[in-house]
Amino acid sequence: MTAPLEAIEPAAEQAAGPGDERPAYRGPLRYVAVKAGGAVLSIGMVIIGTFFLFRMLPGDPVRALAQGRNMTPAQLDLERRRLGLDKPLFDQFLDFLTGTLRLDLGTSYEYKRPVLDLIVDRLPATILLAGTALVVAVGLGVWQGTKAGWRRGSRFDRFSTSTSLIFWSVPTFWLGLLLMMALGNGIGPIPGIFPTRGIESVDAPDGFAYVLDVGMHMVLPVLTMVGVVYAQYLLVMRSSLLDEVGQDYITTARAKGLRDDQVRRRHAVPNALLPTVTLVFMRIGFVVGGAVTVEAIFTWPGLGQLFYRAIKVPDFTLMQGTFMLLCVSVILMNTLADVVYHVLDPRVRSA
Amino acid sequence: MKKWLARLSALSVALVIAGQGQMALAQEPAAGKKIVRVGATQAVDSMNPFLAVRLISTSVHRWMFGYLTVPDSKTLKPSPDLAESWTSSPDGLTWTFKIRQAKWSDGKPVTADDAAWTFNKIMTDEAAKTANGPAVENFESVTAAGQDLTIKLKAPQASMLENPIPIMPKHVWEGVTDIAKFEAEQYPAVSSGPFIATEHKKDQYVKLKANPDYWRGKPKIDELQVIFYDNPAAAIIGLKKGDIDLIGRLAPSDFQALAGDANIEQWNKQGRRAAYLQINHGATTTDDKPVGDGHPALKDPKVRTALHHAIDKAKLVAEVQNGLAKPADGSIVPPMYTDFFWEAAGEEKISYDPAVANKILEEAGYKKGADGVRTMPDGKKKLEFRFSIHTDTPVEDKLAEYLTGFFKEIGITLTTNRLDSSKFTEETGVTGLFDIAISGWSVNPDPEEVLATHLCSRRPNAAGEGGGTESFYCNPDFEKLYQEQLKELDRPKRAEIIKQMQKKLYTDAPVIAIYYPNDLEGYRKGTITSVTSIPEGDGIIYGGSSYWPFYTLDAKATAAGGSGSGAGGSNTGLIIGIVAAVVVVGGVGFFLVRRRKGVADERE
Amino acid sequence: MTTVAWARRKMAFGRFWTTFRRQPAGVVGLGILVVAVVLALIAPLFIDDSVTSVVSDTGKSFGAPGTDSALGNDESGRSILELIWWGSRTSLLIGFLAAALAMVIGTVIGIASGHFRGWIGAALMRVTDWFLVLPSLVTALVLAAILGGSMTTIIVAIGVTAWPSTARLIRAQTLAVEARPYIERSKALGAGHWHVMTKHVLPNVAPLLLASTTLEVASAIVTESTLAFLGVSSNKTSWGTMLRGSYDWNAASNGAWWYIVIPGLCIVAVVMAFTLVGRALEAVLNPRLR
Repeated sequence: MTAPLEAIEPAAEQAAGPGDERPAYRGPLRYVAVKAGGAVLSIGMVIIGTFFLFRMLPGDPVRALAQGRNMTPAQLDLERRRLGLDKPLFDQFLDFLTGTLRLDLGTSYEYKRPVLDLIVDRLPATILLAGTALVVAVGLGVWQGTKAGWRRGSRFDRFSTSTSLIFWSVPTFWLGLLLMMALGNGIGPIPGIFPTRGIESVDAPDGFAYVLDVGMHMVLPVLTMVGVVYAQYLLVMRSSLLDEVGQDYITTARAKGLRDDQVRRRHAVPNALLPTVTLVFMRIGFVVGGAVTVEAIFTWPGLGQLFYRAIKVPDFTLMQGTFMLLCVSVILMNTLADVVYHVLDPRVRSA
Repeated sequence: MKKWLARLSALSVALVIAGQGQMALAQEPAAGKKIVRVGATQAVDSMNPFLAVRLISTSVHRWMFGYLTVPDSKTLKPSPDLAESWTSSPDGLTWTFKIRQAKWSDGKPVTADDAAWTFNKIMTDEAAKTANGPAVENFESVTAAGQDLTIKLKAPQASMLENPIPIMPKHVWEGVTDIAKFEAEQYPAVSSGPFIATEHKKDQYVKLKANPDYWRGKPKIDELQVIFYDNPAAAIIGLKKGDIDLIGRLAPSDFQALAGDANIEQWNKQGRRAAYLQINHGATTTDDKPVGDGHPALKDPKVRTALHHAIDKAKLVAEVQNGLAKPADGSIVPPMYTDFFWEAAGEEKISYDPAVANKILEEAGYKKGADGVRTMPDGKKKLEFRFSIHTDTPVEDKLAEYLTGFFKEIGITLTTNRLDSSKFTEETGVTGLFDIAISGWSVNPDPEEVLATHLCSRRPNAAGEGGGTESFYCNPDFEKLYQEQLKELDRPKRAEIIKQMQKKLYTDAPVIAIYYPNDLEGYRKGTITSVTSIPEGDGIIYGGSSYWPFYTLDAKATAAGGSGSGAGGSNTGLIIGIVAAVVVVGGVGFFLVRRRKGVADERE
Repeated sequence: MTTVAWARRKMAFGRFWTTFRRQPAGVVGLGILVVAVVLALIAPLFIDDSVTSVVSDTGKSFGAPGTDSALGNDESGRSILELIWWGSRTSLLIGFLAAALAMVIGTVIGIASGHFRGWIGAALMRVTDWFLVLPSLVTALVLAAILGGSMTTIIVAIGVTAWPSTARLIRAQTLAVEARPYIERSKALGAGHWHVMTKHVLPNVAPLLLASTTLEVASAIVTESTLAFLGVSSNKTSWGTMLRGSYDWNAASNGAWWYIVIPGLCIVAVVMAFTLVGRALEAVLNPRLR
């Protein structure tokens, strides 16, 4: 669990929110342009914020970089000059800004490689893990939420809602450790069939068998992530379906003589999906946040693990780079969500 | 509900089938080869030996490359490696090594020129100093003629034969323009040691194959794999399940978790590490100016002795190290190195006795206040000390809890101060902003380096920078002894001097040794049929300062089966990542289409 | 406050309680909460900080439940039961304080951005949106890593990353309240910004704020345990640091399941209780959800 459940409501509200002080947009293009402008502004704030946040570090950054190596004062000075730390703060800021805009995020102390290279190396693994978990969680949440909302108060509703709430209350790392003990190591009659580390076996086979191998490695981390996050999709789907059920058009559809099933599938669900779609994008950042613990537990070679290591060392350049990248990607996703929502929901479009 | 159950059962069937597939797959590529998988809770930081500093990386490099000398597998004394013999001039300033006739794994001969290039590179290139800079600090010049390597020193150096630098192939490496940026990820790597690295997947594993042309002869096993775990608990599960065959440097609780498993041999021997407390007894810079904010009471040797008396080392060993360590009655050299190890006995031994500690403090005028905490004799300052430890080190946290309890018994308050490693190094090694700090050192077969960390010259300079002290110690007798042992080339005599130095540290107590943790490892009896530690018998397997254990390792060949090994994985990983991204985008698209359809329906 | 106003409030509360009582899940949650909070508050009457001492009065390392203590021992032979009891104080305190911090920041910014239209409101909203998208766990980790681990740091790190959703909620509510005619009337009668915000808007958003804060506490308790697991802790025994301890000392492989399961279940129970109460409050305030 990474964020309070109640954040779901305003999340949906944000896009659909009261259009009180918004100017009357003339077209989707104009809307996209405004949103893109906002995103650029946010990204700018992230870059500025990151610079000052990491300058708040107590102590001498060069000593932090030297990390117990025997360095002569001359070497320390050299290092300081190399990093541009002898310049005034404003010049340092300009250097940082131009570097970042040129995608030069500095060199990691720990790995002695450019931060961007490290990030690019690990991005696919995180996309694979978080993407799969997201798809499964959304699928599971939407499916259960639909059924629960359609038959409110039924046994299924009570069962699925309370199960999801229990999982939602579980700390991610704890669930991961329990799953590892149960399904990785094996307890009693349960055999430990799933691998407990990494993305693939060391002697990974080729072809389809390789896909299977990676699939096996994904089972535990994906289960962990899904278990904790699917509740929010279930709940938001359920509550927005409840909204739709009361609407006139549902009654009309029923009056037309459509079967219950058809009304649900063709009318209620597509409309109720809107808040869920927004939520998916809103929560991308939190999925990545959850990936930090899951990747650390299962030695998954992704961004989360990279970030976790950076904190352990601590490797501030790497921390700074990963932090910025995570924030920027979440901002982009949110902007996309706004735009998608705008295109999807005619009510917002006309506002 | 019925449908739901059906789906659930379908899922579990699929998982079981997949599980069996997995087991079959894991055996397939092994195909009658002798493969040993080593687990590690650390990942390789760099495959470039000029840059790599982590223990895992230096271990891998020890398997890959030759050195001038290697510790003898029985005595740990320097013995020939790539240098088959050597001589030194009477003044000890000129050393000549004869490099043996051996071949790089690409067929080119190993010459003295390779060694000279390696040392000169480190001496001239700042970036190349990252890993082993201090080891060439005393080198005046290094030259080569045929197979003869001549090293001229600035001053005599007894540890000359323990040089930690791997000899690199000049013909491969001289083309590297920027060492700082070179990752050395070219496989198979050109090497001269028992193993050749064939694959490295960052943060996942390194694969090495036996070097068939190794000058000592091909190792007994065919392949060595090093597999990284972030999570020690997962590594233990891995060993129990057989995902890995050997794991070293275990924490006591992890080691105990292996007990009772019939497939696993528990390896519990003396370690090469000493754990001690560093006391701020008045930190100074090289120009003898005080630095930092150490508690004034600690300048009093009586207080330090009292602290020493208050520490129940046996209890610490029993409860912090689960009994898997030796209480320290000596100093910074662990008992594993029998030649150099010194232990206090009789009168001079400081044993656990809180009553004595209280008496010493009482007599020295540190009276207890109403709250049970002692104050300075002048009554101004309470005896409240900070204890600096690293963040995220459970053993140090536990140690802090015990010390707090011990010192409370003698009227001293201890508060724990957790610092990340860079701040820790700065405050306890440079700025002197500490009272008591945890410390420790993994000692090499030659203890010169650890002794040097208590020299006056290792303190930070007048500007308050640099150095590399472990104690801010500066004692003329200790300095004199250090210089004597440097020049003393007779080993027993030198050992005697080194013992005197340890005694000095024990009685002056700038550091208080608490215990010597055991070397704890575990391996699968089914796979590993024979292993020789360093030193032979009761030594270390993983993490020792030589390749012997892994060179002599023998293993059971895996059952014959399919063939082929997994190459080209990273591309596949990328492809799968892209596929997943497509699925996500596709999913959204699907909703979109559904939505459009819904709207259309509505408008009908 | 006049007695009339008091009586009115009392009646409103009575109505509120009647509705709340009809939410069985909420009542159960409230029950668990009351028990947990009362236990935490009375803990000092029975035990003190010495239960966390490793030196005195310890039992067998990883002793099983029922041998020398009811719920077993940890790696240093301390009683899990006593640690859980003592640790609940830290966990709940961090949860409440972090939520309170988030609530205060969120309310101030939420009401201000809803009340002041024009550029002030827009700028505040921009800032809120910006904070809303920051990945909160990652940000909290960076903050804690930079500021160093202490109780205050943890509370600030959680509070600072959790307020934006409250601010959004409060802003929406403020807009709705200020659209009501009596606010217009009040302004016409010369009420200033401060009067409108504190006397009219605040009492109206308060119930919603309560629901939101309750959920926030749940989230903060989980975040605290996650931070502790990732190595950022307050140096005090809490449920999160206990779980971290069980991981550090490999309780799982040593068969000490009680060390892993019990603190985890405590977190789940309390977080679940907060969530149930929060949802029940929401349902009371928003009949649509009932």
